[in-house]
Amino acid sequence: MANLLNLTWVIVFTGLLILFFVPSKLKWFTAMLTVVLTAFITSTLAFRAIMGNPFSVVFDGGVVAGNVLIRIDQLSAWFILIINFTSITGLFYGEGYLKAYTSEPRKLSLHWIFYVIFQLSMIWVCMIQNGLVFLIAWEIMSISSMMLVVFEGHKPSTIKAGLNYLVQMHISVVLLTIGFIWLYFKTGSFSFDAFSQYFAAFNNVGLFMIFFVGFGLKAGFIPLHTWLPHAHPAAPSHISGVMSGVIVKLGIYGILRVAFNLKSEFFVLGEILVVVSVLTSLFGIINAAVHRDIKKMLAYCTIENIGIIGIGIGIGLIGVGANNPILYFLGFGGALLHVLNHSLFKSLLFFSAGSIYQQTHTRNMDKLGGLMKSMPRTALLFLMGSVAIGGLPPFNGFISEFLIYSGLIEGLKLQSSVQILIMLLSLAGLSIVGGLSILTFTKTFGTVFLGTERQKSVHKPHEVSILMLIPQYFIVAAMLTIAFFPGFYIDFIGRILTSLSFRPLISGVQPFGNYPDILGNISFYSFVLIILIVVFALIRKLVTARVTRTISPTWGCGYTVPSSSLQYTGKSFSKSLSKMFNFVVIERKQYDELNRTEIFPEVREYKSHYFDFFEYRFIKFMVNRLIYSANYFNFVQNGRVQSYILYGLVFMLIVFLLTIFRIVR
Amino acid sequence: MLSLILISIAALFFTGIIIRTKSIASGRKGPGILQPVFDVLKLFRKGSVYSETSGFVFRIAPIIYFSSVVLAMLTVPFGASKGFISFNGDFIFFAYVLALGKFFSIIGALDTGSSFEGMGASREALYSMFAEPAFFILMGSLALITGHTSFQEIFSTLHLGSSITYAIAILASFVLLLIAMIENSRMPIDDPKTHLELTMIHEVMILDNSGFDLGLILSTGYIKFAMYGALIFNLFVGLIPYGYAILIFFALQAFLAILIGIIESFIARSRMNHNAQFIVVLSSVSLLIFFGVLLVLGKFI
Repeated sequence: MANLLNLTWVIVFTGLLILFFVPSKLKWFTAMLTVVLTAFITSTLAFRAIMGNPFSVVFDGGVVAGNVLIRIDQLSAWFILIINFTSITGLFYGEGYLKAYTSEPRKLSLHWIFYVIFQLSMIWVCMIQNGLVFLIAWEIMSISSMMLVVFEGHKPSTIKAGLNYLVQMHISVVLLTIGFIWLYFKTGSFSFDAFSQYFAAFNNVGLFMIFFVGFGLKAGFIPLHTWLPHAHPAAPSHISGVMSGVIVKLGIYGILRVAFNLKSEFFVLGEILVVVSVLTSLFGIINAAVHRDIKKMLAYCTIENIGIIGIGIGIGLIGVGANNPILYFLGFGGALLHVLNHSLFKSLLFFSAGSIYQQTHTRNMDKLGGLMKSMPRTALLFLMGSVAIGGLPPFNGFISEFLIYSGLIEGLKLQSSVQILIMLLSLAGLSIVGGLSILTFTKTFGTVFLGTERQKSVHKPHEVSILMLIPQYFIVAAMLTIAFFPGFYIDFIGRILTSLSFRPLISGVQPFGNYPDILGNISFYSFVLIILIVVFALIRKLVTARVTRTISPTWGCGYTVPSSSLQYTGKSFSKSLSKMFNFVVIERKQYDELNRTEIFPEVREYKSHYFDFFEYRFIKFMVNRLIYSANYFNFVQNGRVQSYILYGLVFMLIVFLLTIFRIVR
Repeated sequence: MLSLILISIAALFFTGIIIRTKSIASGRKGPGILQPVFDVLKLFRKGSVYSETSGFVFRIAPIIYFSSVVLAMLTVPFGASKGFISFNGDFIFFAYVLALGKFFSIIGALDTGSSFEGMGASREALYSMFAEPAFFILMGSLALITGHTSFQEIFSTLHLGSSITYAIAILASFVLLLIAMIENSRMPIDDPKTHLELTMIHEVMILDNSGFDLGLILSTGYIKFAMYGALIFNLFVGLIPYGYAILIFFALQAFLAILIGIIESFIARSRMNHNAQFIVVLSSVSLLIFFGVLLVLGKFI
């Protein structure tokens, strides 16, 4: 087995070498072979792990890292399978998406080289069970994904987004490093096994919160989410899809990995997690509802879904604390299933948004419209993604949201009234999130695909190539299997959750209780819904077979010169909402007031931008203060070599004196 | 299965009674109680006009809207008799299936490319979003007090004992009635009889629907009313024998219809920007129910 693992290294490095030299037409093919082979090998291992043969091997990490444990247990396996699926669909979609760049071999080879590294690093992040080496893999993952984001590096905005991402990821790394060093000093080991040792002996809250913030930066919990809405629009769409689908989920993986070792304080941590997650969800979806940049909207929607996953994790922790196995299964199970679901429909949505961008060269939905006629397949795919992400039956989003809802409702049976209140308010919050996501996605789908074109484009949009559609069909197929055969996935998740810690809680308990049957019911009734739709459609066909059908212009309520610019825009669709939540979504408008003396008004512009509350109010504020105070130390960096040498001398002198007087030993 | 038949029958006359009440209140005689049904039957046989802008979505939307409400109706029990669909947490399914129908009716309206219909769609999306938490808090409270999570089990174990439980049941029927009004775009939120497109919500969304599709949409509204009426009925039914229960069911549905008619006759539609506040108040009433439940369970600190 260890040989197989080493084989992935060999494959990837030969792949990288070949990628460097082959002509640009073959670059994708080489990357594809590498990624698919790696995915095949690691998926086999992961599959065996879920079926009950965890795989582990120990490498010698030298003096610093000690023994490096590489292990694919059930939790890693779940994430590895998700990573592999999304990377492969992203890879195939990316080939079609980047067709226009065939003339730029340098860009392409850089891109595909980092794509291959990126996939491998993500897999290794899931396998390494040693803090120090984990950080290295984590860092490689962050940097390679940053390099993928800045594909269009000639645009300053892209570089800015990339740097923003890089800086924030390093804040995350700092926190993780602090966490691992703390762990090392208390237990003397970097290994992940030291977690349970630590949590058994010391207070759980501090260390968990450090890791929660560190991993939460990657996952995008508020107020740590500000990189997402910048990085996703800047990246090429297949990268946004993969990032939103899996990179963000690795933050969740990290949180789960730490959380499964907790020994006490479940209530406090679970409650914190649930509250933060509900707020994250609400914040994400309210922002998603008002933004008009499709990819920014999707990025905020990712934040919302991370919140939903977080609610699941919180419920699970509370369940462990309350010694309530069904809560444990519903919470963590819902979270794990939603990780899979979200990776599917979010990558689908990003891919179809990418198709729109490729054809129309704009991400502003208020400039689009009527694309259903020119891109019917993309429209249908986007529609299915929208219905699924809204958590509506008959798609897969409902299955995982149902598990989390059920967790909240089961949580109402808890003893403490504070917890009951939290559960009930989360229930209400989650229902608002559901309602708002319907608003968001009807807005997006409606403005982009329905009605008529809002701006005449020179280049007529048409359906994208089959190579870009096939991966999306695969994703839809996977989504439908979850929606109609949830039992299979629930069984998988049940195995994962029974294999992990908290053994006394779940020993002898049927995973998920009777929920597999209920989920079976749901799929059956979703099927009934489809049958009902078909039956009623047939009835309509029969009844209206003989009557006349007329096609005429849309009813203009008496107005006789309709124009496509009169259509309701995405901005106006969510206007009342943004007004209602103007304390969260900050709108800045730019326009010239009409002058009293201006008899013949000139053409004027109206601009409106939405700003992120946390970025605008807190992060910008803090950064400005920091720059302000740092300015006082400007004199230190004066560009004179002499002074730099002086600094060195002073430093050495200090060290010398400190050692001489035995202040530092 | 019993509930399916009874709700269908109630749906036939519910809207008719509302219209009749309103007519009488305004000093007219008004049409017969079954007139809305005849209207729908006539629409089913009529030809239809489709907007040239619209496509597949516009044609499928009424069907999905109707099917979703039919499926939601199947989850509603009749006292102790289960609905066709019954499982733990079926009220989540109920809410989400209705949401699916709403999703499609909204994008169906957007498919015409009309600014008015877009406006209606936007409002519908916003207001129905605000009504969701009220329903979930209400059902969560009922689940808490009964310890069950499916419609049928909740309603059949909901015993009205003390005075607080009566207060809870009355508040709950208030919430459900108002949710029904919001879902059907009725008076405090929307005025079905308004004549200006700018002030409409639901009516303006279906401006371009005609013939069979319009008939479907109208009958969906009728069913929705009867469905929420049945939910309110379930709050009180307890374990009354079927014979009486059926009588009470129809009496309650008629009472609700008359009540809605009277409300509509004497209340003006609130301003659009007050609607949201109004609906948020509904959620706070739900929260009141929740605290009442905590009081009953003795968990209130």
